Amino acid sequence: MKEVKVEVIGPEPPCMRCQAAKKAVEKAAEKLRQAGFMVNVEKANIMSKEIVQKYGVLVSPAIAINNTVKIMGRVPSPEEVEKMIMEAAK
Amino acid sequence: MDGKTKRTVKTGILLAFFIIVISLLVYSRVTARPTKETFRNKLDELGLWGTPLVYIAIPVLYIADYFSHAWICLLFAFSVAGLIYEFVPKEAITKYMGRGKAVGYFLALGMAPFLTVCSCTMVPLFGGVLYAGAGIGPAVAFLLMAPAANILTILMTGEMISWEIAGVRILTSAAVALIAGFIVSITPWGKAIEKEFQVANSAAPSAKVEIVKPPLDERLWAALKFAGYLAKQILPFFIVGLIVVGYLSAFIPEEIVEAYLTGVTGVLVASVLGGPLYTPTLVEIALGQELWSKGMSKGALLSWLMGQPYDFANAMAVSRIAKWKVVAIYVVIAWAGSVASGLLYGFLSGSL
Repeated sequence: MKEVKVEVIGPEPPCMRCQAAKKAVEKAAEKLRQAGFMVNVEKANIMSKEIVQKYGVLVSPAIAINNTVKIMGRVPSPEEVEKMIMEAAK
Repeated sequence: MDGKTKRTVKTGILLAFFIIVISLLVYSRVTARPTKETFRNKLDELGLWGTPLVYIAIPVLYIADYFSHAWICLLFAFSVAGLIYEFVPKEAITKYMGRGKAVGYFLALGMAPFLTVCSCTMVPLFGGVLYAGAGIGPAVAFLLMAPAANILTILMTGEMISWEIAGVRILTSAAVALIAGFIVSITPWGKAIEKEFQVANSAAPSAKVEIVKPPLDERLWAALKFAGYLAKQILPFFIVGLIVVGYLSAFIPEEIVEAYLTGVTGVLVASVLGGPLYTPTLVEIALGQELWSKGMSKGALLSWLMGQPYDFANAMAVSRIAKWKVVAIYVVIAWAGSVASGLLYGFLSGSL
């Protein structure tokens, strides 16, 4: 099984909606880890040079899975993130 | 199959909700609205003037009165803001943000109202526009346009004050934002920031952006949730603001408003009060409406409303990215712009 990298991209200090997005991701990751998946959650700064160079302009909160932005400008449900991570782990 | 029916039902209920909210507003527009005087009439009726109870009665009655005819409007504004924010194709917009200056200015002005109903997305986007290579000009234009003409404030201005003012507000804000952006971009300090934020090959991000679109019912639900989030963020400040507006409404005599908030002095006073004095979103509209009904000129009202972009909190947030010199330049231009627009509009509409 492949390792899945999930980046939660938001401003620093984090805004409330980005914190909500991070919580959803962590909840999904925790559940999947118990099921034996390898999930790596990272926090990325939307204002950093690296992130803009990598993804271009983003609307926060954004979530990238294995270096592809899947969600932008909204807070997903943990179930939705779970599905995406499982998709990426295949 | 079962899950599918559930989805359809959920979509139906949510769609019905949004349709009801929108038709409620249309209905309230078609039928006559109650007059604004009920709050004062009630105070007179209760005979509370002169007793200490009046200090409690004023905010309570004022807020009750305000919400009794603004609730449809607020519900509408929040719901529509939620819908627009959810359904506006953010990835399409951000993709073009880095495509050169003209496109940058155009997008900054045209899209700012739809992208930023929440201040927490504004500063990151300002940074994003800068990094993406559109330059400091569009970034500053975006920054000034966003709070001045976001969808929530425009809807509320139009509904609670007048659509004429709302329209003029959009136009003048766009003009001022454009001018401020352009001027900042030709100053040495603006150029220095541009250089600092230049990234090597910003035109072609190396990683992909593949936005996953959830089904309609989830998007509608997300729109509603975002509307609720906005309401939770804004309403507490709004209610505190209304308490203050209630007292002002009860105790500021019309002579003072007419003396200080009309003519050229009026525009100047309104523009100064509207800025550094941090008025939370929507409170400026309630207060402006109150002062206007007490005799403030239309020109001064416009200046007052345009004060938002250079208020203290916004300037502070931006000074973290841009140098304070740039902040100072755009604050001065925004202020001058609000004065100029107020004077011009007052002159043209015959209400200075």
